[in-house]
Amino acid sequence: MSAPVPDSDGAPAAAQAALGAEHAAVWCCGLATAFLPASAAQPLADAALAHRQRRDALVARLEASGEQPVPAAAAYATPRPVTDAASAAALLVTAEDDVAGAWRALLERTDDRDLRTTGVEAMTAATTVGRRWRILAGVTPTVPSLPGSAPA
Amino acid sequence: MPHLSRRSFVVLTAGVATLGAAGCARDDRPDELEAPWTAARADAALATAAAGAFPDAAARLTPVADARRTHAEALAIEIRRARPDRAEVLDAPPPAVGNPSSAADAVAALTRSLGAARDAGAALAVTTARYRAGLVASVAASCAGWAEALAS
Repeated sequence: MSAPVPDSDGAPAAAQAALGAEHAAVWCCGLATAFLPASAAQPLADAALAHRQRRDALVARLEASGEQPVPAAAAYATPRPVTDAASAAALLVTAEDDVAGAWRALLERTDDRDLRTTGVEAMTAATTVGRRWRILAGVTPTVPSLPGSAPA
Repeated sequence: MPHLSRRSFVVLTAGVATLGAAGCARDDRPDELEAPWTAARADAALATAAAGAFPDAAARLTPVADARRTHAEALAIEIRRARPDRAEVLDAPPPAVGNPSSAADAVAALTRSLGAARDAGAALAVTTARYRAGLVASVAASCAGWAEALAS
């Protein structure tokens, strides 16, 4: 049983945005499997599973509050063409950064402890998993100083 | 209009006095962000000192110093905004940093400290005020990423 998303100060809209970011991250992980080296297969599968679990948790909570959860898109426009391991990793960096930003916004709109806990875990995973993708994409620093903030 | 007996007046007055005392006591307590601010500043100082003393490790340690300095600055801005009365604490000169005996010792100490900051921050992000939850979670996530970077 899932508690509803608290109906206060934009929390439902922020939860929908977090759900949208998780949908997009699941899709990006699927696309990236075709391009990443075999050594990244397990971490990528783990990351995809974590995104699906948070997606499902958000869907359950939104439905419990009588909200219609936003659906996944059939496909997403990638900021840059994905043609090799580096560009696939760069797409994953974007997806993880979007997840961190969406959960950060939700954290700032709810006192619900479960949602807060999930949000901190999501931001932490986006940062540690994102470090792996930043290394593959050749991006430094490999860890953002303030994950979930708009890029300076 | 109800009449207060002398006795209830005394009780009421005592209650107000207690409230007043509690209010003062609360104002003297440190801001809850002072502990993460102190930790961030200490890590930045240690990473900076170690990067200077051991040039071979500078490439690993300098980004950690930069991130922890950014954390300390962001936390200090929020403490100053919420608690102008704590400016004295923020403006006091930082404690001196002992020179680390080796790069490996400094990396090990920073890895431990970043792990502790990650855990303390993740807990505080669940309980703190909404407008602080995002910042605290963001700092915790960054510490998680740098702890992994140093441990690997």
